[in-house]
Amino acid sequence: MNNTTPPTSLQAASEQAAAKIAAMPVRPKVISCPICGLRFISYDDLNGHYISEHPDSIPPIAVTLNVNGKNCDLIIEPQLTLKQVLQFHLGLTGAKEMCDRGACGSCTVIINSKPALSCNILAAECDGKIIETVEGIALIPKWKPLIDAYCKWDAMQCGYCTPGFLVAAKALLERNPSPTVEEINKALSGNICICGTYPRHAQAITEAVEFMAMEYANAVERS
Amino acid sequence: MRAFNHINAKSLDEATALLKKDGSVAIAGGGDLLGALKDDIFPDYPKLVVNIKSIPELDNIVLDGNILKIGTLVTLADAARNPLVIESAKAVSDAAGAASSPTLRETTTIGGNVCQLPRCWYFRKLGNRFNCARKGGERCFAISGDNRYHSVFGTGVFKTDSNTNRGCIAVNQSDLAPILAAMGAEFVTTERTIKAADFFGVGVLSATVLNMGELLIEIRIPVSEVSKNCRYKRFAFRKSIDFPVLSVTVAVDADKSYRVVIGGAAPTPYIAVKAEEVVKGKNITDELAQEAGIAAINGAKPYKENEYKLQIIKTLVKRELIALGSN
Repeated sequence: MNNTTPPTSLQAASEQAAAKIAAMPVRPKVISCPICGLRFISYDDLNGHYISEHPDSIPPIAVTLNVNGKNCDLIIEPQLTLKQVLQFHLGLTGAKEMCDRGACGSCTVIINSKPALSCNILAAECDGKIIETVEGIALIPKWKPLIDAYCKWDAMQCGYCTPGFLVAAKALLERNPSPTVEEINKALSGNICICGTYPRHAQAITEAVEFMAMEYANAVERS
Repeated sequence: MRAFNHINAKSLDEATALLKKDGSVAIAGGGDLLGALKDDIFPDYPKLVVNIKSIPELDNIVLDGNILKIGTLVTLADAARNPLVIESAKAVSDAAGAASSPTLRETTTIGGNVCQLPRCWYFRKLGNRFNCARKGGERCFAISGDNRYHSVFGTGVFKTDSNTNRGCIAVNQSDLAPILAAMGAEFVTTERTIKAADFFGVGVLSATVLNMGELLIEIRIPVSEVSKNCRYKRFAFRKSIDFPVLSVTVAVDADKSYRVVIGGAAPTPYIAVKAEEVVKGKNITDELAQEAGIAAINGAKPYKENEYKLQIIKTLVKRELIALGSN
């Protein structure tokens, strides 16, 4: 008989997040021209090729995004939103696309420590910025109580909007470590949940805050 | 979105030079533009998107003597929580903190809120299916169509147009526009300084009088009794992530001359001169406020489906004047 306990769903989720972050490409594997398929060594060569061979086409642009602590060099099309780049170039599916118009909050990420809607930001404008997604939050031990509380209070039903809520909640707690229920509801008012789990988010976050404060007090006592 | 070129402008000169070319469009917070591009509502899809967020020095809030200067790139969230704004123009903070959603406010800018395009559903219809007057077409579809969120104070007159039959009844749904109009703010652009009363207008693919390639760089609010004694109330169907169906801004000067500006009721912020005359120089009583509310809708011209707006205007003006009087 196997003595090891089976991983809880929470462990499985953080392992999955770690695997996703580890699999993020740091630089493009192949730099090739999307029109004629020629391969190049660097982005500058590709850009030069565009100017001489395809002067009427729109060249892709090079950006560096710091996503979950990893610097990723990317060659992207200028019209891609950050959400599309996270999903299709980096394989991070945590930020979800629902309305795609900035009206639901499912695609919330943290850019330079401020919450932002990744569907409403061009990736071309995020060059050099520090981006944190729900996968990155799942890996930080400090935020484990928040995710635990979300699981315990079952603040989800279909779960599609939950990553957006969680990122917004983390951004709130960084700005205000002990929010009241009104403040929580106000900070999460940009997120829409069609299953109607709204009261449970405040419950879960309040409990996570209490737990984190208790943990902090214990740590101070021990030291 | 379809393909376009993207340039991060480094200076105002670079940005204005790029924006003077045909088929280029400026992006700041992107709250308005990206939705429009995704819905593909423009008659001509832009070839070039010029990012003006990369221009330095446009996101400052400073109090220069008696003038509060707010840079165009200040985000709505920053404007809402800035102590200078809260102290000298509380209503601006209230309105900036009520627009769109908390997360969106962190990226969308005050200049974008003021210059945003109308939310009319004919104008915003996917794939430019209605080539309406606001896009250079022949007619306004809302006048004979579904106009429940449209103007109750007549059509907007195009600034460069001799054909008087061509009007647009889409309202200006900006949260900040009526407040800035009430406070008598000044708009500094790359070419000139425009008074609030003249800034908002009806143009083809524009809600301001800005020329092609002209950028708003700063909003100057005179700090006075008016900016401190100003109240803003919005009426929207949802608390968050919604545009105001109507909004009322009331302010009072030291010599008891009042300002009553209604947003979301006309193609530009509507200054209710008749309501201002009713209360001018008087202390507000319940009866007087009621009278002012009725005067505010004097001359209104509701369409088939938006008569309900008049009742809301009447009540909001009355309530806000009473609240202002009891301060």
